[in-house]
Amino acid sequence: MSVGVVSQIASARPAIDQAAAPWRRVSLLTVGGTVLAGILIPWLLVRLPIGDYLVTLLILFFMQAVIAQSWNLIMGYGGIYSFAQVALFAVGGWTAAVLVSSLGWNPFVAVLFSPVIAVVAAVGIGLPTLRLRGVYVVLMTLAFHELARVFAVTGPRFISGGGYGLVNVPTFQFGNVIGEQRTIYLYYLAMVIFAIASFVIWRVIHSPLGMAVTALRDSETYAVSRGINQLRVRLILFAISAFFTGLAGGYMTHYNGGISTSVFDFPILIDLLAMIVIGGWGTFGGPILGAAIIIALDQYLVAIGDYRALFEGLIIAGIAVFAPQGMWPLIRNAYDRYLGPEPPARPTPESQRGGVPS
Amino acid sequence: MYDTQIVQAVWGGVLFGSVYGLMALGLTLVWGAVRLLNLAHGAIFIVGAYAAYWVVSSLHLPILVALPFGVLAAAVFAYAMHLVFIRPVIGKPGFDNATLVATVGISISVSAAALLIFNPEYKVVPPELTGSYIVAGVQINYQGLLVIGTSLALFAILYLFLTYTRYGMAIRAVSQQMEAASLMTIPVVQTYGLVIAISGGLAGLAGVLLSPLFFLNPQSGFNPMIQALIVTIFGGLGSVRGALVAGFVLGVFESFVEVFYGVAWALPGVFILIIVMLIVRPNGLFGISEVRRL
Amino acid sequence: MLEVKGLVAGYAGSEVLHGIDLVVNDGEGVVVLGPNGHGKTTLLRAITGLLPPLAGQVLLNGEDITRWRADVIAAAGVVHIPQGDLLFPEMTVLENLLMGAYHGPTWAERNVRLGRVYELFPWLKERGGQLARSLSGGERRMLALGRGLMAKAKILLIDEPSLGLAPLTTQQIYASILTVKEGGMALLLADENANHVASLADRVYLLETGMLVRVGPAEELLHDKALLESYLG
Repeated sequence: MSVGVVSQIASARPAIDQAAAPWRRVSLLTVGGTVLAGILIPWLLVRLPIGDYLVTLLILFFMQAVIAQSWNLIMGYGGIYSFAQVALFAVGGWTAAVLVSSLGWNPFVAVLFSPVIAVVAAVGIGLPTLRLRGVYVVLMTLAFHELARVFAVTGPRFISGGGYGLVNVPTFQFGNVIGEQRTIYLYYLAMVIFAIASFVIWRVIHSPLGMAVTALRDSETYAVSRGINQLRVRLILFAISAFFTGLAGGYMTHYNGGISTSVFDFPILIDLLAMIVIGGWGTFGGPILGAAIIIALDQYLVAIGDYRALFEGLIIAGIAVFAPQGMWPLIRNAYDRYLGPEPPARPTPESQRGGVPS
Repeated sequence: MYDTQIVQAVWGGVLFGSVYGLMALGLTLVWGAVRLLNLAHGAIFIVGAYAAYWVVSSLHLPILVALPFGVLAAAVFAYAMHLVFIRPVIGKPGFDNATLVATVGISISVSAAALLIFNPEYKVVPPELTGSYIVAGVQINYQGLLVIGTSLALFAILYLFLTYTRYGMAIRAVSQQMEAASLMTIPVVQTYGLVIAISGGLAGLAGVLLSPLFFLNPQSGFNPMIQALIVTIFGGLGSVRGALVAGFVLGVFESFVEVFYGVAWALPGVFILIIVMLIVRPNGLFGISEVRRL
Repeated sequence: MLEVKGLVAGYAGSEVLHGIDLVVNDGEGVVVLGPNGHGKTTLLRAITGLLPPLAGQVLLNGEDITRWRADVIAAAGVVHIPQGDLLFPEMTVLENLLMGAYHGPTWAERNVRLGRVYELFPWLKERGGQLARSLSGGERRMLALGRGLMAKAKILLIDEPSLGLAPLTTQQIYASILTVKEGGMALLLADENANHVASLADRVYLLETGMLVRVGPAEELLHDKALLESYLG
């Protein structure tokens, strides 16, 4: 290679890629606007007769979105086919329930321990399992789901509550507030959890950890040869995912006033999977969009009853094969095309010449 | 009595073993040939069982007629699944992901469809053979013997098919070195379809034979799926021999644990065994490490 | 009988072959010479259907086989003996050979072909029950060659027959290929080394960075030391 060629390559180095600093891409206006909307919406909604109900739907959306994002983090970005998500949610939920029911703790304090125990459980499953190939993870996590279910149903009374779960668990108390006002406070709590989870997950995705785990997913041997510690990276990701899932579990326990063993039933797992697949597997906005879609359709879906699972299954299968990118990229592309800013000028061929012929 | 316990454990073990082997056979075959982890295997299992049930309860035909019908229905269903959901993504980079999620989706749909068509009540599928005899205080039923016999026969048939017939060799060729197989004039995609159909038929057969042993309901596919997965992994993904041996090892092990330590220890015991296997031999008993597949 | 016109091929985003024109006539031995990484394997894979071409045409006796599936192309008599052998590792030597004749000759015909292959490589007969993955490099090459010869080929495409082999085995391999050619078989050989192919080649193409830079009769190109050095290094 001649000296002239080398210097030509050096002078053609492009400016820093926009994607390298992604937080600069989302304008403050967008984020600020969204947050403001989030804060104001409940007050607007309660004016409507079904307002209270709509706010509870939003709360459900926030929590499902958190769990869906967490699951997408390990499955979509990490390529780890874990089916333990619901079990981890249950671990978080039961932790909070037991701490409050049996030990009399304050729900707000108990909820802080849900994510911690969930992370412990996750690390416990993760250590033996994450070393192994994809198919083994499926099996092991399904096994964990089953074992957790069996334990919840047949375990000691303070956990199993006779086989159906724990009921009459004290809920969040905001002073003496009741009714719509209380719902709004619950909403804000859920929104805060959602905001924190989304932010953390977004940062993780765009961090070296996120890059590492995607590299492992796409080409494990290469990533490992470049010094990425497979087990450590995956374990950390798994723990982060479990953290927020457990937190959601704790919140839901005190929101619902209990936790039932029916949480282990398939419909919830199916819904979560549908959210990720329909919304956009392996994208940031995908699970959020998916959660919104499923929750919004929920009312209509209940009307069709047993057909719901049938359609969900077919749609999941269909999208996975024919439109694997999900809906989020479609919307992103539409946004970029019609509303987004102009992309930076493409480098001309002259500035790029000087590479080595292959 | 000690004697009874041993006989019970052995009978249970051989029976479980045959069952597990039968379930795992189709799964391991498909993995070996197509590199597809067919999580719809359990769904195909109940397609076969429900099809046979329908023939018996709606058409009022004897179970012996319903059996081949169930097998055929399952094979056709599996092939249809291949045409719609597998074939479009063969060779594409997202294959593993797409097929994993798609087979899960199909499982969900089949369960739901079974619920819609047949309602959630437990159905009774009549056995092919009734009656039993007693050995050392243990009831040996004829249906159980049929299951054991069929399982062993199928393994033998499949072994002969794969080793000596043209299509069997084509399936082996495709599973070992896909590109070379097409250079040998073997149509790879069609071979995939063949394997999937055969695997479906095996799952359907298992479904028809085994459903008399428990009550058939839309969720009946889940446990056999897990069992098949465990046995397949234990025996080595892709190894027919492995499925047979692993089925019996796990079956006998579980049976002995159950008889001597109680039912509650069966599942945890099996899982401990699996974990030990995965540490000692991550590829299973007869698994071939991926590197050598090149 | 085999004609390639303007063939363009590559992998996920990068073009490797930029328009190849080449001809192999009946009974001819054609060699494509070129250093590693310049597209020899890509060329053979594109012709035999393992890689769908991006542009151009491949004609077999006038018939357009460009977009045909690999198994159909093989059945038409275009037999590819690939780089790296691509044997069936868990099958025996005999099974690998039989797979070569998968396309459906009668038992009798199959045995005739086996006989011919055993004449070239007698040890294949003795060790028919050995698993392919336990063979040495040279043995694998011979098995791959034998397997290819089991097919009813109109033309043999051989990719780097001497890759990774010791000198003695290399000689054996090329001697066998010569025997096959002398039986009237058309050959398209991709190779790196000009010396070995001298006896086999009627015409030579020089391939560099995905383009054919020279073509001519073997006597002319293969003995021009200066030319070869500048292209092959």
